Amino acid sequence: MGTTKKYWAGLEDLHEKPAFLEGQKKEFNEEIPTEDFLADSGLGKSTTGRRDFLKFLGFSVAAASLSACETPVIKSIPYLTKPEEVTPGAPTWYASSYYDGQDFASILVKTREGRPIFIKGNKKYGAFGGGINPRINSSVLSLYDNQRLQHPIKANEEISWDAADAEIIAALKSAKAEGKQVRILSNTVISPTTQQAISQLLAGINGEEGENAKQVVYDSVSYSGIRKANETDFGKKVIPTYNFDKAHTIVSISADFLDGWLSSTDYQVQYGKVRNPKNNWMARHFQFESLLSLTGSNADYRSAIKPSEEGIVAASIYNGIAKASGVKSLGIDTSAVDEYTKPAVEELLKTKGKSLVIAGSNEEAIQKVVNGINVLLGNYSSVIDLDNPINTFMGDDQATKDLVADMNAGKVDTLLIYGANPAYTLPHSQNFVDGLAKVKTSVYFGLYNDETGTNCNYVLPDNHYLESWNDLNPSDGVYALVQPTISPLFNTRQAQQSFLKWDGNNTSFYDYIRQTWDFYIPEEAGVFSDIWNKALLRGIYKSDTKEISAIEYNTDVLEESTGRILKLASNGGEWQIALYKKAGIGDGGSANNPWLQELPDPITKVTWDNYVTVSLADAEEMGANIYLGEKDPASMATVGIDGYEVTLPIIPVPGQKSGTLGIAIGYGRGANGEKVGRSAFQTDGDGQHIIVDGKPEPVGKNAYPFATFDNGLHLVNYNASFTKLETTYPIALTQTQHTIMDRDSVLRETTLGVYKAGDKNAYNKPHTIAVHEDGKTVQKAVREIDLWDDHPVEGVGHRWGMSIDLSTCTGCSICVTACHSENNVPVVGKDEVRRARDMHWMRIDRYFSSEMTKERGEEEGLGQVEMYAKMEVPSNNPQTVHMPMMCQHCNHAPCETVCPVAATTHSFEGLNQMTYNRCIGTRYCANNCPYKVRRFNWFNYNGYSKFAEVNPAQDSFSRMVLNPDVVVRSRGVMEKCSMCVQRIQSGKLDAKKEGTPVVDGAIETACAEACPTSAIQFGDLNDKKTVVRKNSSDDRAYLALEEIGIQPNVYYMTKVRNIEDNKEQNV
Amino acid sequence: MADKVYYALYKDDEDLKGAARKLVEGGIKVNDVFSPFPIHGIDPIIGVKQTRLAIVAFIFGMTGLILALVGFQYFMISDWPMDIGGKPNVSLLLNLPAFIPVTFEFVVLFAAHGMSLTYLIRNKTLPGMPAENPDPRTTDDHFAIKILQSENSGLENDKVESLLKDTGIVELNQKDY
Amino acid sequence: MHKLSEIRQPLILGEKSYGDITNDIVNPIENKAPKGWYILLAISGVIALWGIGNILYLIGVGIGTWGLNKTVGWAWDITNFVWWVGIGHAGTLISAVLLLFRQRWRMAINRSAEAMTIFAVMMAALFPGIHMGRIWLAYFVFPLPNQFGSLWVNFNSPLLWDVFAISTYFSVSLIFWYIGLIPDFATIRDKVKSPVMKKAYGVLSFGWSGKAKHWNRFEEVSLVLAGLATPLVFSVHSIVSFDFATSIVPGWHTTIFPPYFVSGAVFSGFAMVLTLLLIMRKVMHLEDYITVKHIEYMNIVIIVTGSIVGTAYITELFISWYSGVEYESYAFLNRATGKYWWAYTIMMTANVVTPQLFWFRKIRTNVIYTFILAIIVNIGMWFERFVIIETSVHRDYLPSSWSMFYPTWTDIGVFIGTMGIFMFLFLLFARYFPVLALNELKSILRSNGEKFIKK
Repeated sequence: MGTTKKYWAGLEDLHEKPAFLEGQKKEFNEEIPTEDFLADSGLGKSTTGRRDFLKFLGFSVAAASLSACETPVIKSIPYLTKPEEVTPGAPTWYASSYYDGQDFASILVKTREGRPIFIKGNKKYGAFGGGINPRINSSVLSLYDNQRLQHPIKANEEISWDAADAEIIAALKSAKAEGKQVRILSNTVISPTTQQAISQLLAGINGEEGENAKQVVYDSVSYSGIRKANETDFGKKVIPTYNFDKAHTIVSISADFLDGWLSSTDYQVQYGKVRNPKNNWMARHFQFESLLSLTGSNADYRSAIKPSEEGIVAASIYNGIAKASGVKSLGIDTSAVDEYTKPAVEELLKTKGKSLVIAGSNEEAIQKVVNGINVLLGNYSSVIDLDNPINTFMGDDQATKDLVADMNAGKVDTLLIYGANPAYTLPHSQNFVDGLAKVKTSVYFGLYNDETGTNCNYVLPDNHYLESWNDLNPSDGVYALVQPTISPLFNTRQAQQSFLKWDGNNTSFYDYIRQTWDFYIPEEAGVFSDIWNKALLRGIYKSDTKEISAIEYNTDVLEESTGRILKLASNGGEWQIALYKKAGIGDGGSANNPWLQELPDPITKVTWDNYVTVSLADAEEMGANIYLGEKDPASMATVGIDGYEVTLPIIPVPGQKSGTLGIAIGYGRGANGEKVGRSAFQTDGDGQHIIVDGKPEPVGKNAYPFATFDNGLHLVNYNASFTKLETTYPIALTQTQHTIMDRDSVLRETTLGVYKAGDKNAYNKPHTIAVHEDGKTVQKAVREIDLWDDHPVEGVGHRWGMSIDLSTCTGCSICVTACHSENNVPVVGKDEVRRARDMHWMRIDRYFSSEMTKERGEEEGLGQVEMYAKMEVPSNNPQTVHMPMMCQHCNHAPCETVCPVAATTHSFEGLNQMTYNRCIGTRYCANNCPYKVRRFNWFNYNGYSKFAEVNPAQDSFSRMVLNPDVVVRSRGVMEKCSMCVQRIQSGKLDAKKEGTPVVDGAIETACAEACPTSAIQFGDLNDKKTVVRKNSSDDRAYLALEEIGIQPNVYYMTKVRNIEDNKEQNV
Repeated sequence: MADKVYYALYKDDEDLKGAARKLVEGGIKVNDVFSPFPIHGIDPIIGVKQTRLAIVAFIFGMTGLILALVGFQYFMISDWPMDIGGKPNVSLLLNLPAFIPVTFEFVVLFAAHGMSLTYLIRNKTLPGMPAENPDPRTTDDHFAIKILQSENSGLENDKVESLLKDTGIVELNQKDY
Repeated sequence: MHKLSEIRQPLILGEKSYGDITNDIVNPIENKAPKGWYILLAISGVIALWGIGNILYLIGVGIGTWGLNKTVGWAWDITNFVWWVGIGHAGTLISAVLLLFRQRWRMAINRSAEAMTIFAVMMAALFPGIHMGRIWLAYFVFPLPNQFGSLWVNFNSPLLWDVFAISTYFSVSLIFWYIGLIPDFATIRDKVKSPVMKKAYGVLSFGWSGKAKHWNRFEEVSLVLAGLATPLVFSVHSIVSFDFATSIVPGWHTTIFPPYFVSGAVFSGFAMVLTLLLIMRKVMHLEDYITVKHIEYMNIVIIVTGSIVGTAYITELFISWYSGVEYESYAFLNRATGKYWWAYTIMMTANVVTPQLFWFRKIRTNVIYTFILAIIVNIGMWFERFVIIETSVHRDYLPSSWSMFYPTWTDIGVFIGTMGIFMFLFLLFARYFPVLALNELKSILRSNGEKFIKK
């Protein structure tokens, strides 16, 4: 229906003035002199001739075409209103904390323009000495993973938070009304506030009466055995705090305490302190284990045992000590292992009260024996602290088992899963999945719509920890804060917020934390806001710890253990599986992280794969490929237990007990094509995901199903079947030659005795050369000879250098990932790594000892050929050395001389600098580098399709993790360690602003900073006071390949082993 | 003025050489000789001076040498000295060993190219130049002597011809201008 | 005039007159080419295109399409480079050195040998170019003024010496070759009928007319150029060898490399010349000019240089053991007995053992045997370069970085491709250029005795 309203243009219109009506008809009010214009006679005599016309035409064409070529658009959006704490170009650091259900760490998060880009340990204030591991400093990349679940979903359909809340609250209400069973399945929650939120929610459902809502705590890797043992032995159901830094003797029975066992981030740091030969005493470390673990590779004495023998070994040590201290020994025949344990026992007795015996087994009986040993040795006085226990790993395996049973029985009505991924990590996960189907309402909180998520009704995306508030209580008296460093990237919400909301509590979780803290922190501690702000600033609040109380203990508790141990020992079958946790992948949570997938395993140096490790002897016997390389694939084998069988490549590892199989957990994520991160799946030669019947093929196979449940969850399996197949599988190693070939100018080691004797030449003889001086020939140290002295380095300005202590380097590989994230090192994927094109600026060379040495070769009168051939074979139970290797910044760098375009030159501060945009990529420098640390950009890693799935720089989200201070290298240029020159520059600028000289420690390279044992030191070699300077003149200091005369600026410290000089240390 | 050119063609270089000697003894000025390949020993007879191209080559070589040294001094020492593998770059002399190879190459480069270009230019043999040989056969298997009447104006007209006749010529052409 | 003693057999067989020589060379240029030529040209053309395709792929995608890795930064690329440069040595050596030594037998072969040199050096120069990660910045290797101010090249780098050595060698050889060609072009110009060809060769011949004065200068220039080219030949391969000799890689850092490389170059160069000449001789019926005598002379050169190379191999081994330097001795031990023992064996047999067969007159005067042995030497010399370059770096100082090298299709494609391009160019040369130095040949015709003249 049209309107009849009329709008007047003005009063004239209203009164219909004739002039106006006249004007209305015309387009323009004024008369336009068209006639006069056209009548203009001048028009005819226009001078615009053909040539002019063509000129104009030409011009317009030129103009048009010119306007077509634009300058490229750079998408950079300035701050409209700049946040006060952000200065573009200057990093902002936040103290926060990391906890993933396995490891806790106090961390510092570096943000640039509001983006977290780097994580390091909070060494100054943090708990556990600020120790971290590769997973922790790589976790910043996971934040930007665009495969994360970006909104809540219900039955794989997007759903709004409000709708989800409403439905779930309704479900909970009805469950409460009908008295149905409600369960919250979570990993160990070490956050008091989160725990409180959960308890509140449960209480709300339970009401006064009613026991139908319960929380079940479940850890993918269980340590319940220790708690149970301590409960029965000491009446304290705790995991004690182990003070490795007080232990003069460390005996570990297959406990990988440097890499994954309990709070290994803590133990790393402590271990570093007691392994420095310069100190008055150096801990002696015995390791009894089935696989060659990182810890074992650092042990002084290492014995390989079968998993089923762990108990026997523990008993044997117990008996040895019991005998000496006149206590009744266990009725177990330990003769088989006594010769192995003898040296350990002797050493333990020598250092009573200052020693530590631990066992990795989750077997209560074994833990009890270990407790017995420690009691006899009186270690509970100082080394083991039962009164300030750690709060991680409180999982209750039995409860979890019961839950699965209940679910399958249809007893569970509503199930909330938080911080756990049981559908992947449970040994019999299928039962769990079936059970889930029977649960009416199942809710999953997680970062991904993963194995568990896809089987739940609701998946509510949790915040990444870098987006969340939280508080953590890793061990008694330690309260750490987690604070957000970026606002949530996606439409996600912290799980804790949901707990509060569903409990009808609408306070934000941040306020909630403050409330709980306010409530719990005692008045006398001071003004709350001060405490809070300080805690926030330092990331931690420490309350005073308890005194260690005396323990009462009765050896009779060991009686029932005896039978159990004997039973276990008898169970041992021909092939026994020992599962382990990898430095990179952990329990599987890091499968989405390309940095960690590409991180070489510290022992096998394999990347991007899961595999079964067997002992060298076994591998030879079954005819599996021993030498693996680019075109030498690994043999395949099937490993099976009844009901589960996987096919994995065989990696022979020296030092492993024959008859044992080692498989890493945490692989085979997303086996049903769940979106758990693109790097969790295999890529082919073209970099595309390998699709097998519609699903991308995951990297590696899931090993959790091999775990056994026998009064607790054990990552071992005593009876497995193993058959080698004829098929092979390409494997990507970063190191294919495993022995040092007795090249002592590269690697130097000695024993504590020799070192303490104090004669440098006995273990660290400087290279000399015969020279003529005033008429006669004299032997002169290579270091004093200089072919050209036109560029003196001594005492001229700064001279940046490093010292690397091979004694305290444990090979943990944190430096590798730290360098990776600091310097935007490209990820290249499996196929390229296999072609020996890994791009790591910082790598760790791992060398096994060989039976054959030059000496022995001469003794046996072997020919050179034969001798060297034998040298390539590692011995069966080798000594291991981890040697971090990066650009040595030689003062007479061979790489510089050969570059035709002077793209690599020497700075006046001793740095060998690489000018990327001058480099034309002849690779001559790389050929001429004796350390082979130069890395060439074979492809355009941040653009070429082959790397789309693996290289973070190719994805618009992950790209945000790149360090803006370091250029992303283009195709065809050489790159290498720059000693974090960007940090040196900013450090110098800061000092300049201060008006002071650069103080030692003010500038740290990423690797030095990350090193938990401070094995890597960085500083100014020309500053007499610096640590590196002191180290460089230390007796142990040597330059790798010194005799070539290239004068490196990186000093290595001879590795000192705490072993008897005359004895054969590894049996 | 009108002039007359004689082209005496021979089938053998030795004959030509003999003829030339005879003519010269007869006081006749031989203007030029055309041959398919160098006739050794003809030059002194007809009075062609030895070329000085070798000297040219030497001069060019020296230029190359100097240029190279100046270049090194400027590039590596004075303009932007760099610490390259600790090698001395404070003075040309200290760093010279590393420069020897390129210096040598420069010398050869300049000498060779300089001389060759001079050679072509002096010859006026350049792309597109017209050929001057009187008879196409002189690049194949014939040899020609060129005599200008004007150069021998002292002699009576038939003297040249008569002399040429009995030098075993295979052909005698005359041209008038 | 001619200093040839009576007992020497003539260098040119058959009753040849000046005219015959001209005809023998010019007629094939004028007449229609034999079918065989077209077939060969087609084949080599296809191979050349394939090679170019591979090169484009390489440049488009990256050096990663080759089989190189972090340890082995050079393998086939530089192997091919050195191999081609080596081959490129015979031509100039023959024409320059033998000219200085007044070896007249060179005259039958120097023209084609020089052509081969030039094409070979072209192929060689290709590799340093395409082996660059960023070939589009190749001009960085020249000391050019640039927008960045003081940004010059590094004259300490052997690779830069290479740049100058190769470019000098190439351009000088080219000039030397062309100056020799000019009079022969003139001959063709005056001989051919078709106006087009007349015009074309007219331009090429620069209007040469064979004046006495010109001939005088011509000989002077040839002599001086020969004098300059001779040290140049030796310098080029010495400098190429510096790439390795001045490095610190065990197995590369060897002081005997310059003489060893040069003799190796002559060795392989002569082998390649023989390979090509024997084919050309057959196809173009040049038996009268390229006689068994020539072949025998060249075979003798091959024995000599081959033995020098052999001696060098042995010396290397001895020194590496005698030096007592751990890395040095291991490098050579590994070379001979390590994973690449097969390459070493091929090298030893093909370069040291088989050429010794030329001690037997029967073999060195037999065309077939010569051809086979020449091919073997070519293969052997390729492997020599591969062995030196690859086996030295694949296992050097740090065992942790040891690795292997496996060629990819692109490696192979590029190498084969260059052979195609080379053959293609050489076939064009053989068709349109005077394959023998006419003017020089005519000047030595007299050695065949007086009898035929004035007939």
